[in-house]
Amino acid sequence: MRRTKGEELNEKVVVPKDYRYGTNRPWTIAAKRLNPPGKRRRKVFVEPIAPEDWTVLRGDTVEILAGKDKGKQGKVVQVFRHRNWVILQGLNTHYRYIGKTHDYPGTYIASEAPILLRDVALIDPSDRKPTEVEWKFTEEGDKVRVSVRTGCIIPKPVVERRDGIVPEQWKDGPKDTSPEDTVEKTFTPSLKTLEEEVMEKLGIQENRRQRKSYWY
Amino acid sequence: MPNNVYTLKNYRRRRRRRKMAASSMAGRVLTLCKQFQNVFRISSGINAKNAAVNLAKHYSHLYSPISSVSQYRTLHTTISRRGLDEFFDFPENWGEETVKSGAPWSAKHLRTKSNEDLHKLWYVLLKEKNMLLTLEQESKRQRVPMPSPERLRKVERSLIRLETVAKERETTLRLLQTGQEKGRPGAWRRNVLGYIYWYRFKEYAIPWYMNTRYMRKRFYTPKFVEPHIRLRIEKYLRDKYRKTNLKKRTLAKLKERFPHMKVPSS
Repeated sequence: MRRTKGEELNEKVVVPKDYRYGTNRPWTIAAKRLNPPGKRRRKVFVEPIAPEDWTVLRGDTVEILAGKDKGKQGKVVQVFRHRNWVILQGLNTHYRYIGKTHDYPGTYIASEAPILLRDVALIDPSDRKPTEVEWKFTEEGDKVRVSVRTGCIIPKPVVERRDGIVPEQWKDGPKDTSPEDTVEKTFTPSLKTLEEEVMEKLGIQENRRQRKSYWY
Repeated sequence: MPNNVYTLKNYRRRRRRRKMAASSMAGRVLTLCKQFQNVFRISSGINAKNAAVNLAKHYSHLYSPISSVSQYRTLHTTISRRGLDEFFDFPENWGEETVKSGAPWSAKHLRTKSNEDLHKLWYVLLKEKNMLLTLEQESKRQRVPMPSPERLRKVERSLIRLETVAKERETTLRLLQTGQEKGRPGAWRRNVLGYIYWYRFKEYAIPWYMNTRYMRKRFYTPKFVEPHIRLRIEKYLRDKYRKTNLKKRTLAKLKERFPHMKVPSS
């Protein structure tokens, strides 16, 4: 049966082992145009960084150490773990035309190019200089990023949620449970199963005996 | 010769007799719809007490007349009486592009609730899910995007978490009382191809020595299969070593390109 466009977009994308990941996500049309199935490109070697050692997060301020915009500080907008890439807002830009039609030349915009993680360093909040960062545990037990040079803790960046909700300013709707009701503890541990307890509360009495059955 | 009560023929005969008895009883008791027949066949008097009694007095005219039978049970156990309107959202949300909805229930909060609360919450969430599914189907029919489809996913996640919490409680009780973690019994058995696997038991009405279909199953490996098992093991080992060697080679190549990299521990 023919799959509709919606179903085509929603199905899980199977990606070959030597797939070259780009800035477009593999299920988008642009990615399908650049990497159609059967296309093989030269292999790119990506330095393996374990997930627990990854220090740069979305929303951090980092400084560029090499390249066109060397020495500039910017905010991280997107992180690509599969290529060790980071996109900063407004930095390392090249210019291109988008929305080109037959008669209209298109809008001239600046688009950011991804930067390798190696060419980027987190900024120490105390002296605003780039440092090397390590993950360490505090006395309370929280895992934090600590700069190697000064020992200053770099706090986690505050990122706005994708749906635009700010938890502090949230107002409950008619179907939402109030915070007091959610946190209220009604559980008392007992040796009864859920079914037995509910039957007791509803006044159901089950006096039937189960017929003998065999398990094998 | 053992008594012939438990032969297959007599079992079938007794089953037929029981069915006939049930149908005559069902004629007396109210038969609203087929799936509730089991509820009404319960022998001891179910006292329609607590909240149900008062509601029955006010709303008994809504149901078909129950003639002086002591064993009956009202359907509703909740306060809401919206009927089929529960399949639809509140009228003020009709035609909206987006509807605000809060976060789903987390397992941490569900664990603090009593069993009765969880039971009630399950049905509340189920009704909400039905409402959202009708909304989804209707928007498909009208070829219009569904307002806030993430609500459906939130409700589904809450239901899954509720089920895990209930299962957790059941397994802890079972562990305490019996020492078994899984409820369904099973055994390690060998199949015809030489694999040893966890065979999960099924529930039957007759013992295993009377079950002809079960007797035909083979839980052993014939002699001629054994050389093939060895070949299979060799193939598996070859594959395993090939994979480890590949990993070593790729790591060496990466180390030569990135001399400062940290070797991943896995």
